[in-house]
Amino acid sequence: MNRPVSLFTALPLAMVALPMLGFAAGLPVPTPLIIFLLLFGLMLTGMPVSIALGLTVLTFLFTMTTVPITSVALKLFTGIERFEIMAIPFFILAGNFLTHGGVARRMIAFASAMVGHWHGGLALAGVMACALFAAVSGSSPATVVAIGSIILPAMINQGFPKRFGAGVITTSGALGILIPPSIVMVMYSVATNTSVGQLFIAGIVPGLVLATMLGLTTWYRARKNNYPRLAKASWGQRWRTFRESIWGLLLIVVVIGGIYTGVFTPTEAAAMSAVYAFFVAVFVYKDLTLAKVPKVLLDSANMSAMLLYIITNAVMFSFLMTSEQIPQVMAAWMLDKGLGPIAFLLVVNVLLLLAGNVMEPSSIVLIMAPIMFPIAMKLGIDPVHFGIIMVVNMEVGMCHPPVGLNLYVASGIAKMGITELTIAVWPWLLTMLVFLVAVTYWPDMSIWLPKALGMMR
Amino acid sequence: MKILDRLEEVLIAVLMGAATLLVFVAVLHRYAAGWPIPLVQDWLLSLNLSWAQELCIYMFIWMAKFGAAYGVRTGIHVGVDVLINSLPDRSRRAYVLFGLLAGALFTIIVGTLGAHYVWSIGHTDQVSADLEAPLWIVYLCIPLGSYLMCFRFLQVAWAFHKTGELPHHDHGHVEGLETVAAIDINPYGMRDNLHPADIKPGSRP
Repeated sequence: MNRPVSLFTALPLAMVALPMLGFAAGLPVPTPLIIFLLLFGLMLTGMPVSIALGLTVLTFLFTMTTVPITSVALKLFTGIERFEIMAIPFFILAGNFLTHGGVARRMIAFASAMVGHWHGGLALAGVMACALFAAVSGSSPATVVAIGSIILPAMINQGFPKRFGAGVITTSGALGILIPPSIVMVMYSVATNTSVGQLFIAGIVPGLVLATMLGLTTWYRARKNNYPRLAKASWGQRWRTFRESIWGLLLIVVVIGGIYTGVFTPTEAAAMSAVYAFFVAVFVYKDLTLAKVPKVLLDSANMSAMLLYIITNAVMFSFLMTSEQIPQVMAAWMLDKGLGPIAFLLVVNVLLLLAGNVMEPSSIVLIMAPIMFPIAMKLGIDPVHFGIIMVVNMEVGMCHPPVGLNLYVASGIAKMGITELTIAVWPWLLTMLVFLVAVTYWPDMSIWLPKALGMMR
Repeated sequence: MKILDRLEEVLIAVLMGAATLLVFVAVLHRYAAGWPIPLVQDWLLSLNLSWAQELCIYMFIWMAKFGAAYGVRTGIHVGVDVLINSLPDRSRRAYVLFGLLAGALFTIIVGTLGAHYVWSIGHTDQVSADLEAPLWIVYLCIPLGSYLMCFRFLQVAWAFHKTGELPHHDHGHVEGLETVAAIDINPYGMRDNLHPADIKPGSRP
C-alpha cells in the first residue's frame, strides 16, 4: 500500500521535472512531449486548470522559444475580446434566474400531465421536464438542480426507490448541454471557430433522440419493477399546465427561433434570454424577490469569471500550440500511420471519456478541441458533427465519478453517497454510451437538420 | 479589508447586470428604430448605439479579471484534484500550498507584464475602435485584477497554512428533501474532485 502511494506522490513532480532536466541537459526531447508533460504534471498537482495552462505557456516562453513574449502577452489581453464568447456569462445568468424562478416547477407539472400516466410516471415526466428545461438552460448541473430539487422529493413520496429517481435525474440532466442553448457548444465554437448557430441547431435532433432513449430505459425499468403511475390527466388539465408553463416554453422560441431566423446573434439571444428570465422570475411567476437579485448576479459573475479565466489561458495555450505547429505535426503523423476517420473517432472517444474522469467539460473542450480539430478536418469529418461528438462525450463524463458534476449535485439533493449513486446511474449511463456510438458513426443525425434548414451546405 | 471585499463583490455584480441591460437595450433599439413612428423614429435614429457591443466586451473583461480574484476567495476555480485528494494529508498539504503559490506566481507575472504594457500604451494616444476610449484605461484591469488575484492566492495560502481549511463555495446550501423551495446550489461549489479537500477528517469527497 505504501509503495504505490509514494509513487503517486512523486508523479506530478517527476512529470514536470523530467522534460525540463532533459531539455537543460541538451537532449533532443520533442517539443510536444515537453509541453504536454509539463501541462499534465502541473494539472495533477491540483492547481486550477487555468493556472496550469498559463504557467505552461509562460515556462515555455521564457525558456525555449523564439516567439516574442510581447506577441503572446498581447493574446492575454485580446484573447477573449470576442463578442461570441460573451454568450457564456449571459447564458449562465439566464440559467441562474430560471433555476430560482418557478419555471422548472411548471414545466414538471406540464410534463406530468402529458406522460405521467405511462409506466414510469413521475420519472418519465422528469426526463421530459429535463429535456424542456435543457432547452432554456445551457448547463447540465443547473438542469439537475432545477428539475431534481423539485421532482426527487415528489418521487420518493410516491414510493419510487431513491436510487431510481436519482439515477434518472442525474443522467437526464446531462441533456442540458446537448439541447441548445449550450455553454459547452459555445466553448467548442470559441476553440475551433465553428458557427454557434449551426451547432445549436445540430444539437436538437440528437438531444431529442437521447431524451427518447433515456425515457425508454426509464419506462422499461419502471414496467419491470411495477413502479407507481399517475392518473391520466384530462386534456383540460394538459391545456392548463401548458398555459402556466408558457412563459418558460416561450424562451425556447426566443433563443432557437431568434438565432435561426437571424433576428439575434447567439450572444444577443443569450442577453435577451437573461433579461427575459429575470422578468419572468421576478414579475410573472414572482418566485424571486428583487432583494435576491444581487446575489444571483454575484453568483453568475463568479461562475462566468472562472470560465472566462480558463478561456483566456486556453487561448494563449492554443496560440502556443499553433505557433509550434503541434496539431499539424500530429495530423501528418496520424495520416502517415494510415488512420482512417473510423479509427480516429474511436481514439477521440476513448481520449475524451478518459479526460472526463479527471476534468470538467469546459476545460476538456478548450484543451482538446484545438488539438483534435485540425486532424478531424484533414480526415474530412464535418466540424459541426465533430462538435456534437465532443458534447456527448462531455455528457457521459458528467454522470460518472470521480468528477461528474451532475453526480455531485444530485448527491447533494438526494443526500446519497457517490458510490451508491454510481450504481444507481448505470442503466442510463449504458444507454448514453450506446447513443454515443450512434452519434459518432451516424453523422446525419447531427447535421441533417441544419442542412435541411439551409444553415449549412 | 472588509471594504475591499465588498467593493470587489459590488463591482462584478454591477458589471454583470449592466452589461446585460446594455445589450438588451441595444437590440431593442436596433429593431425599434425600424418602426415608422414619427418623431420617435427620428429620435431613435439619431442615437448611435454601435459602441454597445464593444462596451459590453470591455465590461465583461473587467468582470472576468476581478471575478477571477473573487473566485480565488470563494474557491471556485476548478482543477484536477483526483490524484491529490487520494494522497495522505501531509503530501496533499504540500501540493495544495504549491498550487496556491504557483497561482500567486503566475498572477504576479501576468500583472507585471500587463503593467508594462499599460505603461507603454499610456504614452501613446491609442483609442478603442468604436468607443474611442483610451486603451490604457481599458487594459488597466489586467494589472489591477491580476495583482488582486495574487493577493487573494496569498491570503488563501496563508489561511490554509494556519488552519488547513480552504474556501468552499456554499456547498451546504441544498435544503434537502424536506423543503423544496429556495434551492441555492452552485454546481462548481461541491465537494468534488475538481477542488482540493481540506486537511480535516472526513473532508474528502
